[in-house]
Amino acid sequence: MYALADCNNFYVSCERVFNPGLIGKPVIVLSNNDGCAVSRSEEAKSLGIKMGTPPHLITELIREKDVKVFSSNYTLYGDMSDRVMKTFCQFVPAIERYSIDEAFLDFSGIHATDLQQLAMKIRDTVYKNTGIPICLGIAPTRALAKMANRFAKGKQQGNGIHLAANQQLINEMLAATAVADIWGIGGQYAQMLRQRHITTAMEFVNTPEDFVRASMSVVGLRLQQELKGISANELKSILEKKQQVCCSRSFGSLLTDISQVKEALSNFAATCALKLRQQNSLANELKIFINTNPHRLQDRQYYRSVVMKMEMATNNTPEIIRYAMKGLDIIFQEGNQYKKCGIEARELVAEGEAQGNLFFEATPARHNTIMNTLDELNRQMGKELLRFGRQGFQKKYKTRAAMLSPKYTTRLDDIIKIKK
Amino acid sequence: MQFYTHMIPEEGRQVTRLDFKVPAGFPSPAMDYMEEPIDLVKELAPHPLSTFYASCEGDSMLDAHIPPNSILVIDKSLMARSGDIVVAYLNGGYTVKYLKLKAGKCYLVPANAAKNYAVTEVTQDMEMIIWGVVTNVIINTKHLRLCTL
Repeated sequence: MYALADCNNFYVSCERVFNPGLIGKPVIVLSNNDGCAVSRSEEAKSLGIKMGTPPHLITELIREKDVKVFSSNYTLYGDMSDRVMKTFCQFVPAIERYSIDEAFLDFSGIHATDLQQLAMKIRDTVYKNTGIPICLGIAPTRALAKMANRFAKGKQQGNGIHLAANQQLINEMLAATAVADIWGIGGQYAQMLRQRHITTAMEFVNTPEDFVRASMSVVGLRLQQELKGISANELKSILEKKQQVCCSRSFGSLLTDISQVKEALSNFAATCALKLRQQNSLANELKIFINTNPHRLQDRQYYRSVVMKMEMATNNTPEIIRYAMKGLDIIFQEGNQYKKCGIEARELVAEGEAQGNLFFEATPARHNTIMNTLDELNRQMGKELLRFGRQGFQKKYKTRAAMLSPKYTTRLDDIIKIKK
Repeated sequence: MQFYTHMIPEEGRQVTRLDFKVPAGFPSPAMDYMEEPIDLVKELAPHPLSTFYASCEGDSMLDAHIPPNSILVIDKSLMARSGDIVVAYLNGGYTVKYLKLKAGKCYLVPANAAKNYAVTEVTQDMEMIIWGVVTNVIINTKHLRLCTL
């Protein structure tokens, strides 16, 4: 048995924990650079604000209905997420963190009659510890647990828990779920299935395996198996596709000077290298890209990318910055107003699997020690204590976050202030 | 010399150890008696997952040893009982007070005899949230210095 536990409107819920005045009001949290709505309170959803709506398209609505708008405070959400995940760990032997606000919990070996009670206990403890409301879906496989979670969320005045522990309950759920709402089935597959009159998850489960394999590859087949109640252990890794690590961001203002873009890119490269180290991977290739703002029709448009193959797979910050700079030199063109650049680490291999070649030995041990020390110091002393010179200090590229709430849990200056 | 870092997941605590290899010479006689140094965070916030901090700027709880500029350690997971010092959210703002539950009624009680702040009876129509229970108060004595001495 698996449970998929998922925080409700997570970013909005985090803001509400520290600002209870937001409860009952329409609230939205914007993506990086205040681009578009990525988390919405139920009240905001009722106003018709859709996921991905840019705030400048709904300024009227925001003013009229007094919608509270926040920039995303990832420092805060990250800390609250950690608290939620660690609370899960107190109840089950293993969890698989799936995203910032959801995790699969291993419910195996728990007696069927105790499942509901355990789920309630987890839900209550998370709420007591953090103030974050969650939903749990419980079922024999991950894909079914995800589906059950959708049910738990959909229930009006429900208790936030949906148990699909026996075949009858699973069948009811499958029959009531549209193919487009199955986890892992994208828009194109959903359309293809609908054209063949396969509209519900139940009909998808009953589709001949040969057809599924032929038209949706082995991934589709595994998904079908999961929905039949047969656990596919590889499913998670397939769906996750952690084959690349990416860091890209829009600039806070348009940049024209290569030195400013270099400063931005070297910071993204450093973040990328850190992410690689955190998951113990090395990259063989880097893709560097740069583009202008496609919404500014008056500007000359430019998009270019380049893939840099490295001599050796690496996750070493100065190495990755060095290749990124080389790549940028190749694709940068003077005279454009740049809006965004990014770096993608590809062809990943696990640390220790990298092979040296005739001319280069695998990353020397000395470099690893330096990187580990750097990561540890930055972790303890604050995120950007130690940096490479290339990363610069101008920060012209820094993203916009005009409506950022305080970092209530990680900075002493930002903790809750009590006036009386 | 080597760093070892490991997580204690249930406490959410990361421990870094520094191990020295003594190449030669007499081993320290204290080796077998080493203990972890006193960890105040562990004492003041034994439940890190539900511990939050707030700074108190008012003086309504002065007699309860909460002067302005003190830092409150709050455990959000505790069920507040009558007599506890709580952080509550009332009328659009945070407040720290004694919680008093008596004869089916709920009060937020200040502690400052000199200023005579009013007791608030929390009624049905008020929106009040008990945000958490104050478990420790941290006072930096620089705020208590007597400059008149």
